[in-house]
Amino acid sequence: MIEYRHVCKNYGGRAIVRDLSFAIEDGQFAVLIGPSGCGKTTTLKMLNRLIQSDDGEILLDGKNVAEINAEQLRTHIGYVIQQIGLFPNMTVEQNITVVPRLLKWDKARCRARAQELLRLVDMDWDTYAKKYPNELSGGQQQRIGVLRALAAEPPVILMDEPFGALDPITRDALQDEVKNLQRRLHKTIIFVTHDMNEAIKMADVILFMSDGELLQQASPEEMLRAPANDTVREFMGKHVARGAAGRDDIPCGEIMRKNVAHVSESWKMLECVQLMSSREIDSLVVTDDDGAYRGVVTIEGIRAHGRPGESVRQLLEEAPTVYTGTLAREAFEKLEQSGARYLIVLDGARHPAGIITRTSMSKALAYMVWGGDAV
Amino acid sequence: MSHLFATYGAMLGKAILVHLAYTVTSVAAATAVALVLGVLLSRAPRLARFLMPVISIFQTIPGIVFIGILFLYLGMVPLTAFTALAIYAVFPILKNTYAGLLGVEEKYKEAARGCGMGPRQILFQVELPLAMPTIFAGIRMSTVYTVSWAVLTAMIGLGGLGEFVYRGVSTNNSTLTVLGAVPAALMAVGLGALIDLAEKRLTPRGLQEVKS
Repeated sequence: MIEYRHVCKNYGGRAIVRDLSFAIEDGQFAVLIGPSGCGKTTTLKMLNRLIQSDDGEILLDGKNVAEINAEQLRTHIGYVIQQIGLFPNMTVEQNITVVPRLLKWDKARCRARAQELLRLVDMDWDTYAKKYPNELSGGQQQRIGVLRALAAEPPVILMDEPFGALDPITRDALQDEVKNLQRRLHKTIIFVTHDMNEAIKMADVILFMSDGELLQQASPEEMLRAPANDTVREFMGKHVARGAAGRDDIPCGEIMRKNVAHVSESWKMLECVQLMSSREIDSLVVTDDDGAYRGVVTIEGIRAHGRPGESVRQLLEEAPTVYTGTLAREAFEKLEQSGARYLIVLDGARHPAGIITRTSMSKALAYMVWGGDAV
Repeated sequence: MSHLFATYGAMLGKAILVHLAYTVTSVAAATAVALVLGVLLSRAPRLARFLMPVISIFQTIPGIVFIGILFLYLGMVPLTAFTALAIYAVFPILKNTYAGLLGVEEKYKEAARGCGMGPRQILFQVELPLAMPTIFAGIRMSTVYTVSWAVLTAMIGLGGLGEFVYRGVSTNNSTLTVLGAVPAALMAVGLGALIDLAEKRLTPRGLQEVKS
């Protein structure tokens, strides 16, 4: 449990954070959001005392952080910064084990922990452990940045716009990974962003700040449905422009992603693998020779049962489908209930017309509240 | 040629050793002093902004004058040459240590603080390793300079390769001058290469590749 009580911070006579009070429950994914200069990063950094508060108190599990030795406090709070900040003079393994080494864990325990963590993000130990940060891609670097924060098993992790510097595709993947890790490991995460889509996707609870004050603390759904005031509404509106707010009769055809990779069932497996790798996707929609939907083929399926030279007909898998005319609201329920990562959208002739992913759904959700561009 | 070596061989050998000894000891002492000073100055940037120009003016005093002054106070002992050379060798290393430490990007220091490192751990695990390439460049510069400055020690009769140079110049014997100058030049190149090698072995791969 994290509790801010009447916390204030001034810089040169200007109030950056004023009389801030809120609480975050254990295991919650809390997102601090607001326009730049609203004090969200300052609020975050006061928790691990990278910035000292001027007034009020911050309690971590009932203890005032001001009374804990700053270095000791920080070894028990994970920290991920936007510019990644992996130490370029250390290998991946050394970077991951920075905090455990500060805590004087023995060598074997450090190594075992590093191995365990790399497995968590599907990075191969032999390939990556001895690499240096400049030998990794941006996405891989920030994965290691997240692992470094997780290494000493802190119950709380702070993330300061961790994905801001990444390209959209990598960012999307890392958002999913971090959200999964957080659920699985039951961590309390405080996450600063100015991207509403990111907040909606990740948060259990969103704290909206403006001009050093907390305007609203609510779940994403509630904040979308009932923004506390015009500032909140306007800020969210900037990301999904104002328009026909309140519509809930939008069909899937309007919110789906078009341009879906589809292949005929007579395609050979190798061709499919090549197409997937060239477009960096992990599944393809399969149609019959007339273009009607038959199923999907995934890279896992090919890996498990595939034989080169054979057509993909043998490997078809079922995926939940909706029609272009289905209401987005119903599609949302289907996506939630099935637990699938996406829905295939079919037109009247059962030809695949597009797909709806969880990301396009969250955008659509915002669209229903404020209108604007859904896709 | 063989006649030359028969005449001057032993003397040349000794001169090279003396020269090398002056260079190595004074650069080593200068490195230690400069590292400590550089770290201290980097902790007090306001003081450093005032002090660095002062030291830099001091550096412009010609070496000959300085050795001469020291000679008056300390006398004709090797300590005079060592002290003068060491003081001159400090500045390039100090300047680079200071610049290298200040050049460490804030994000690394913030990440280090965020991980729970104290000031000393940040210095030894993050700042100094990241400043290492710059510091090495300073040591290299100092060494090469010191080899040439050490020629001056012969002026106060303290030996080294300068003896050959001066004697050659004053007796209009160019062979003697060359006999002093060539080993000095080779020494500068050789020591520079040794330092490059040491740098390569001491800098982690992660830093070598980002360096252009």
